[in-house]
Amino acid sequence: MQYLLAFLSLLMLAGSALSAEFSLQVEGISEEEVLQLGERMYRKGILPSGEPMKAVVMGDIPVDGRMFTCDDCHQRSGLGSVEGTIVTWPTTGLELYKPRQRTGAWRPPESGRAVQSRRRQLPEYWQQIEDVRPPYTAMTLAQVLRTGIDPAGRKLDSAMPLYLLNDREAAILINYLNTLSAETAPGVDAATIRFATVVTEGVLEQDKQAMLAPLQVHIDNHNTQSRHQERRSSSGPFYKTELHQSYRKLELAVWELKGPENTWRNQLEAYYRDSPVFAMLGGISAGSWQPVHDFCEENKVPAIFPVTDLPVVSDLDWYTLYFSKGFHQEGEAVARYLHSIISDSDEVRVVQVARRDARSQALRSGFEENWRKFDRSPPEYLELAPGAQPTGQFWERIMLDPRPIILLLWLDVQDLGKIGTLEQNRTPLRAIVIPGGLLDDSYTIIPDGLRERVYMTSRFNLPGTQRKRRMVVEQWLRARKIPVTDLDIQSRMYFLGWMLSGAIKYIRSQYFREYFLEGFDMMIDQSYAIAVFPRLTFGPGQRYASKGCYIVRLTKGPDPELVQVSDWVIH
Amino acid sequence: MTMKGHFRSGTVVVCFLSLVFLVSPEGSEGKVKYRRTVENYRVPEVTLVNQNGKHINLKSFIDGDKPVILDFIYGTCTTICPVLSIGFSHFQKKLGPGAKDVLLISITIDPDNDTPLVMKEYLERYDAQPGWDYLSGKREDIFKVMKAFDAFVTNKMDHAPLTFLHAPGSGRWVRINQLLSMADLMDEYNLLTKP
Repeated sequence: MQYLLAFLSLLMLAGSALSAEFSLQVEGISEEEVLQLGERMYRKGILPSGEPMKAVVMGDIPVDGRMFTCDDCHQRSGLGSVEGTIVTWPTTGLELYKPRQRTGAWRPPESGRAVQSRRRQLPEYWQQIEDVRPPYTAMTLAQVLRTGIDPAGRKLDSAMPLYLLNDREAAILINYLNTLSAETAPGVDAATIRFATVVTEGVLEQDKQAMLAPLQVHIDNHNTQSRHQERRSSSGPFYKTELHQSYRKLELAVWELKGPENTWRNQLEAYYRDSPVFAMLGGISAGSWQPVHDFCEENKVPAIFPVTDLPVVSDLDWYTLYFSKGFHQEGEAVARYLHSIISDSDEVRVVQVARRDARSQALRSGFEENWRKFDRSPPEYLELAPGAQPTGQFWERIMLDPRPIILLLWLDVQDLGKIGTLEQNRTPLRAIVIPGGLLDDSYTIIPDGLRERVYMTSRFNLPGTQRKRRMVVEQWLRARKIPVTDLDIQSRMYFLGWMLSGAIKYIRSQYFREYFLEGFDMMIDQSYAIAVFPRLTFGPGQRYASKGCYIVRLTKGPDPELVQVSDWVIH
Repeated sequence: MTMKGHFRSGTVVVCFLSLVFLVSPEGSEGKVKYRRTVENYRVPEVTLVNQNGKHINLKSFIDGDKPVILDFIYGTCTTICPVLSIGFSHFQKKLGPGAKDVLLISITIDPDNDTPLVMKEYLERYDAQPGWDYLSGKREDIFKVMKAFDAFVTNKMDHAPLTFLHAPGSGRWVRINQLLSMADLMDEYNLLTKP
């Protein structure tokens, strides 16, 4: 009874029923604007008027459309998702405007012998394929959005919201749905999927090869067709037709970006114009990944696991999946750790010392953004002038203020030569935090007398841990005659290739870039094949797979070890 | 059989049918609407962290004097969690001032991503009122809790639409393995609080 009341209320509020003359034509605005408004409805749950969409879910629960949106369930690709026992079907034009069919259980013929084709195809009368739903039309699509009743008269699962939409709003949304995963992405043809990997100016040849060689091995392995994929695509059993015919060989182009960073974008555009690719795999940069990130974002090209310590950190961008937030993550971890140990009433100065270079500023922004979210007082900031070296006097000047102090030194090892000065100071030095990523294993620069108060960040596995995983990668490399030159880089590309085969199988013949990325989102958390990080975790829209960073301390002596102080993920 | 025997056996049948009717949620069509069982779960002694960064001993938190409704979600979930959470949100609105008399607990199954900041934003999105806490913590502690409630999955995408209800002082939990309408959730809550 309550379902019925809710449904009737919805109809009443909607005013008149769907017009008999429902049309996808939207008067008064351009086609581009229609799609922008449709995208906003689909992704943000906002009507063209700017008001939130309204719906009812589970028969009687009113929904503000901003709370969960179409793309939460149907995904950005529109190809849907499977979560536990809940199947969210595709909502793309390609899928909606064709009948949905179901094949019944196979029944043998009443009489006569089976005659099988080369594809071992069963005779027609043996296949009980039936249409369970005719194709949608624009009208019936608008109807189902409001009533949950499909063109076959079936009621959709009550997890599908019933939307309060007038004709114009429905038309705008449907126009947008028609664009989702409508065409096979560039970079795919009848035989091949083309990928590219980027190597920027400044990358050492050894590092380039460390990135490239494992990746190329994975590509070559796929192309050797150990399961005779191309032969199966023409003669395998009929019930595996789609699986086998989706096989493509892989190509990997190397896009080298030369010269200054401000020219890289044009170079990428030129490479892409010359030979578009389906997605980017790996890649390595000596500096910022920003130009590549921006290119991928604007051209909607997925980029999977580039090797960079300076990723673009964004809550909104979508097309690049990073291993971690790099140096930003170390700053973030420091903010979380200090927040957990400093009480609100603790009057301690937090002073950052940094340089105006990309790594230092990434650490700073990671710290400050998160510190701000904890409603903490802004930290102090001191910047070293270019070429200036922090002397003993520099450190003493910082300590003139008698209040307790925590020093965050976003500096590399060359700037820490005189840090021993701090040992003697009478001002309460609560802690010094140094990014492990910049120290580069030069731990002995920290004098013994300071080590009890020095904390470091480590966004990778601690030394001596995960030996087995590292050994697996080393053995894999050696078996393929690849010298082990940089296991950190090589193991990341080993992992990427290991996941790539699953990601390609996931999309089958649905060569849509968003769907490819969504395949990574659905992957199980990984602590098995990744030798560099304790674990990588995935989820819809999550773009930084490693979420953690240890805080560690150094033991004393000439050969210090790292001692874990915090959890991997600091809550 | 004697008249007395018929009467006695008839009474037993009537009582049995009444018990079934009271315990099993029956739709108007006479079909069971959702999968519902009553279980004994031992809440582990773990300390989790809520959306405000406050550390909470889960067992003490649950063993208070309020009824508890609990689910397992994660912040970037696609389908199940949004529907569960919109249910919690509307449930609080429906109860109005009575919302303070019940504890709503959402426990993450993605502790690496679901930090207090993430959880706070999630609850704000669903217009959560005081009385609804979202909990995260160390991965091993979260797994302990999931296993204690027979809700553990190795891939978060495989998780089930579970809702658990617990009356204060009771060792038993109602376990529902299906998405619920508001009417059904209210019925279950009323069964819990007004026996």
